[in-house]
Amino acid sequence: MASITLENVTVDFTIYGHHSFRTALLSSAGGLIRRQGRKSDRITVRALDNLSFQISHGDRVGLIGHNGAGKSTLLRVLAGVYVPVSGRIITEGKVSSLLNSSPGMNSDDTGYENIMTCGMYLGMTKDEILRIIPDIEEFSELGEYLSLPIRTYSTGMLTRLSFGIATSINPEILLLDEGLSAGDARFIERANQRVNKLINRASVLVLASHGDSLIKSMCNRCILMNHGQVVKIGDTDEVIDAYHRLNSEQAAA
Amino acid sequence: MPTPQYDLAFRDIVGGVLHWQLWSRAGWTDVRARYRRTTFGPFWASISLGIMMVSMGLVWSFLWKMSVKDYLPFLSAGMLSWSLVSGLINDGASVFTAQKGLLETLHFPLTMLTCAVVWRNLLLFFHNIVIYLLVVLIFRVPVTWATLLIIPGLIVIGVNGIWVATLLGMVGARYRDVQQLISNLLQIVLFLTPVFWTPDQLAASGRARMVLVDFNPMLHYINILRNPLLGKFPTLLDCEVVIMLTILGWLVTVAVYARFRRRITYWL
Repeated sequence: MASITLENVTVDFTIYGHHSFRTALLSSAGGLIRRQGRKSDRITVRALDNLSFQISHGDRVGLIGHNGAGKSTLLRVLAGVYVPVSGRIITEGKVSSLLNSSPGMNSDDTGYENIMTCGMYLGMTKDEILRIIPDIEEFSELGEYLSLPIRTYSTGMLTRLSFGIATSINPEILLLDEGLSAGDARFIERANQRVNKLINRASVLVLASHGDSLIKSMCNRCILMNHGQVVKIGDTDEVIDAYHRLNSEQAAA
Repeated sequence: MPTPQYDLAFRDIVGGVLHWQLWSRAGWTDVRARYRRTTFGPFWASISLGIMMVSMGLVWSFLWKMSVKDYLPFLSAGMLSWSLVSGLINDGASVFTAQKGLLETLHFPLTMLTCAVVWRNLLLFFHNIVIYLLVVLIFRVPVTWATLLIIPGLIVIGVNGIWVATLLGMVGARYRDVQQLISNLLQIVLFLTPVFWTPDQLAASGRARMVLVDFNPMLHYINILRNPLLGKFPTLLDCEVVIMLTILGWLVTVAVYARFRRRITYWL
């Protein structure tokens, strides 16, 4: 059974010695900013503030919130990239993530070479990768392009390839970050189908986005985040309503 | 003593090294990427090294009043060894900052990246050795049983390269000046270390010899490769110093890694 448990997870980013950056940050939205000591150059940004929740087997969780609410940071904590400064996270099951870029992709390598490299970074063996290649060929619809360096690809083609690779695995826990939006309507539909299939194989999905249509179509639970804190957890529709209310409140203020 | 930390660090280090399929591929991809669409590929580095060996060998043997036959092989073997050792140190300092994107996306044992750096530098060494073979043939450098020690020498340097890159990579990620500092220091050390000149040119004893020769860790690392390349055995002192530094370096690296492993992604 795959599951994720967060107990009082807090993440602080330390900004090292950036004088001008400090003033820029102080005025921006995002996490809480504090200084360590008065004379110190260091300031810290609290990206996640004391999060506790549980995601259990079969959940398809949407993360919503403004830019800088902590969605991406949370995904990275779930992926094990950032170890919480305090609190702890207990993950059961193998985590696969499709955050921003595809791991280890080299723009001068061909599509096939990148499938191999990428697959290895995602934890597959050579044989496993060879077995999934036909599936990626079919989904990406890249045909002969797969034998060309990926720097010749359009953004959409690249998305199809990386999405195809990331979703060809058999993850127990899958983390996705927006990337889906880069593609035409047809791609989004096929991506949805593919994620649905993937979800049938996988046990847990966590998807961060600020477009709510995507989340409505894919998720059964939702987490609304604001300034690094969880504002609301619950059914997708309820939480999305809360998100809209938050938006209008902030617009009014 | 925070034992779980050490346990995790140890498993991470070993786990990364065991991922040889991935780091060998990554190292090779790096070499290929750098020379893509060039006719001579990685041999460009070897060619420039070869040109330097010959031109410096001729001029300096004249300046030092040594026979070209003695000096040029010594210089070539020295530069070959130096380019491997210094390449490891230089690339090590930027190993984590160079892979920022990857480290911010995935969780994996970090020694995988340092092994890739070591492998890349070894591959470049194997390209360079082709040039050295010409030197061996032209100047009839003796090929003896000691020549076989090239292989353990390379393994020892590789094993050291992993800790050097891991340790310097962490320091370099936290303090960005370190990368610049190291590449500058290496240039100075190159002139202070007997690569262009021989230890025999210094007085047999005295402070200069002690500092530049006996107490110079870089020289001992160079020697365990250069001497076999020249068909000679490394000295006992070379082996002792290298073994000591290998153990010491790994101890320090494991301790630092256990303490700061979790902070590395925050530094990027």
